[in-house]
Amino acid sequence: MKPTLDAFVLLSGALFAVGFLGVLVRRNTLVIFMCLELMLVAATLALVAFSRFNGTGDGDVFVFFILTVAAAEVAVGLAIIVALFRTRQTIQVDRLNSLRR
Amino acid sequence: MTPLDTALLVLLAPLASAAVITLLLARRGSAASALSVLAAAIVAAGSLSLAFGGGRFSGSVEWLRFGNFAISLGFRYDDLAALMLAIVAVVGLCVHVFSLGYMHDEPAKARYFGGLSIFMFSMIGIVLADNLFMMFIFWELVGFSSYFLINHWRERKSASDASKKAFIVNRVGDFGFLLGIILCYWANGTVGLGELGAAHAAGTLAYSRLIPLLLFCGAVGKSAQLPLQVWLPDAMEGPTPVSALIHAATMVAAGIYMLCRISVLMVPQALLVIAWVGTLTALYAALCAVTQRDIKKVLAYSTLSQLGYMVAAFGLGSAGAAMFHLTTHAFFKALLFLGSGSVILGCHHEQDIFRMGGLRTRMPLTFWTFTVAVAAIVGLPGLAGFFSKDAILALAYDNNPAVFALLALTAILTAFYMLRLWKIVFLGNPRSEAAGHAREAGISVTAPLVLLAVLSAIGGYRGAYPRGFEGILSQVPEAGGATHAVVLGASLFVLAAGAAAALAFYATDGTDALETRLPGVFGFLSSLRTSFDTAYDAYVSKVQQRGALILNFIDVVGLAGVVVRGVGGAAEVVSSGLRALHTGRLGNYVYWFLFGVAVLWAYAAGIL
Repeated sequence: MKPTLDAFVLLSGALFAVGFLGVLVRRNTLVIFMCLELMLVAATLALVAFSRFNGTGDGDVFVFFILTVAAAEVAVGLAIIVALFRTRQTIQVDRLNSLRR
Repeated sequence: MTPLDTALLVLLAPLASAAVITLLLARRGSAASALSVLAAAIVAAGSLSLAFGGGRFSGSVEWLRFGNFAISLGFRYDDLAALMLAIVAVVGLCVHVFSLGYMHDEPAKARYFGGLSIFMFSMIGIVLADNLFMMFIFWELVGFSSYFLINHWRERKSASDASKKAFIVNRVGDFGFLLGIILCYWANGTVGLGELGAAHAAGTLAYSRLIPLLLFCGAVGKSAQLPLQVWLPDAMEGPTPVSALIHAATMVAAGIYMLCRISVLMVPQALLVIAWVGTLTALYAALCAVTQRDIKKVLAYSTLSQLGYMVAAFGLGSAGAAMFHLTTHAFFKALLFLGSGSVILGCHHEQDIFRMGGLRTRMPLTFWTFTVAVAAIVGLPGLAGFFSKDAILALAYDNNPAVFALLALTAILTAFYMLRLWKIVFLGNPRSEAAGHAREAGISVTAPLVLLAVLSAIGGYRGAYPRGFEGILSQVPEAGGATHAVVLGASLFVLAAGAAAALAFYATDGTDALETRLPGVFGFLSSLRTSFDTAYDAYVSKVQQRGALILNFIDVVGLAGVVVRGVGGAAEVVSSGLRALHTGRLGNYVYWFLFGVAVLWAYAAGIL
């Protein structure tokens, strides 16, 4: 049986929801970061699916860009998290609230 | 050096002196005084060489340009300016030298001499200015230096009050002056003195009654004419040499000089107003002078009265007569003030004439020079004041009998109060310990007295002046025939009447004979003197103060209350709400993000 577009969109929406919930409830910056990546991947999946079912390559082009940017973003994001840990000895977001004080 | 270079040097030497004193010599009094006197000497040498050299020139450079409106700075050195510059320079030098002795023990000597220098700079600027804007700039600078020097002893409340009064009253007059300048520019398209003169000669000048009268407002303030005369008597709080230089000989005469500079703008109706203002000032001030106890205040009212003569002379149509009287007055009034300074110094800063007396033998040089000055001001034949005052009286006799009568009456009063002063100060026995121990001061005090006494004696003879001043002095009206006889007779009569009355009436026993024998007259004259101050006080406290209170209410309730507090309060309410959102928890922000996405989606879907 051939997968339908609905299945792809559902999978993409589920992935996005998981990622979003993760961002909402988790306290560890690293996990939040991974959840963000998950949301990105969900969006990528939706693009590929639409591209495929429309028979055009537009979405695929977007995906290449997103992958490139995401790679750079991961490098920068991880570096920030490492630097954050070095200075504050923690990466728990509920303790990173010195701007409020 | 070309004449232009010399004029620049004369203008800038005092400015340089003031700058160096202020920046470098503020704590070194003797160096500052030496520098200031040097600058005054340069000014005197430069302006006399210019006057004798006979070169007359004018020229200007553009200073500021706004669109097609330009303000230029320039010199206009004609006979009028040459005469005025020579007066300012000679009297200025005398006063500088006199100050060396008078202010010898003064702690703030540097400030004082710096003030004198900045005054010389400003005054010379007025004299040389070739357009009304430049004149106005220096006019204000003169006002500032006058304020600064009246306020020299600033720890005295009376001195600081007097300086503020002088400054504010002058502002009132200057407002009219500025309006006049603007109106003149609007009507003629220029405020250059040369251009105005050329337009007058070509018959293209726009005449109006308003322009000369508004410009005259400036002279009313600076030359202390009615009704803005109130500041000058109070200005005697300043050091006596300052009174001699600024409040007798030069600055207060700047109003007359300015009128002579703009004489082409005059129309008959304006001249009539000017003549009457001058005449009434002359009479009013002479009446006030009779009751004064303070030696400097007598001289201050006498200055007002003589300035009234000059303004009246100008109003009667003769700038020459006004400038001639200005010249002789500068000499003898500076001498009177410096003489009074010498007396005050001798009597250890006693200024009440009824606590002096007997100074004739104790201060002979001061006595004789002062006597020359008194003789000159009352118009003793042969001395300077006789010629210039007679020229004005003759002019009045020919043109306006009512003005003549009032000026002749003023002349009687002049002789009366000057002889009163002279007798009470110098004759009789000393009436206080200070007067008993009075001594003549050193050469720097007496030398200027002698120089000015010589000038007061010969200043009435045309031949005593360099030929360069002929342009002005030839305009002095000569009384001929019947007028001459009447005026000569009248002036000798008023002199004799006033002098004899004063000498017979006043005794040298330390009481004011007028106060004890004619208390009604004394009371009337005293109330006349204070009437203007009382009226202005009433106006300020009853009218202006109420207006200020209303404005204050609007400010406090309207501006500060509703606008300023209101805006601040609204910002505070909003910000306290926004602050609650700033929890510092990442999750909360994500919820808000989610909320925003939901709103955006709702908007895009057309639900909102």
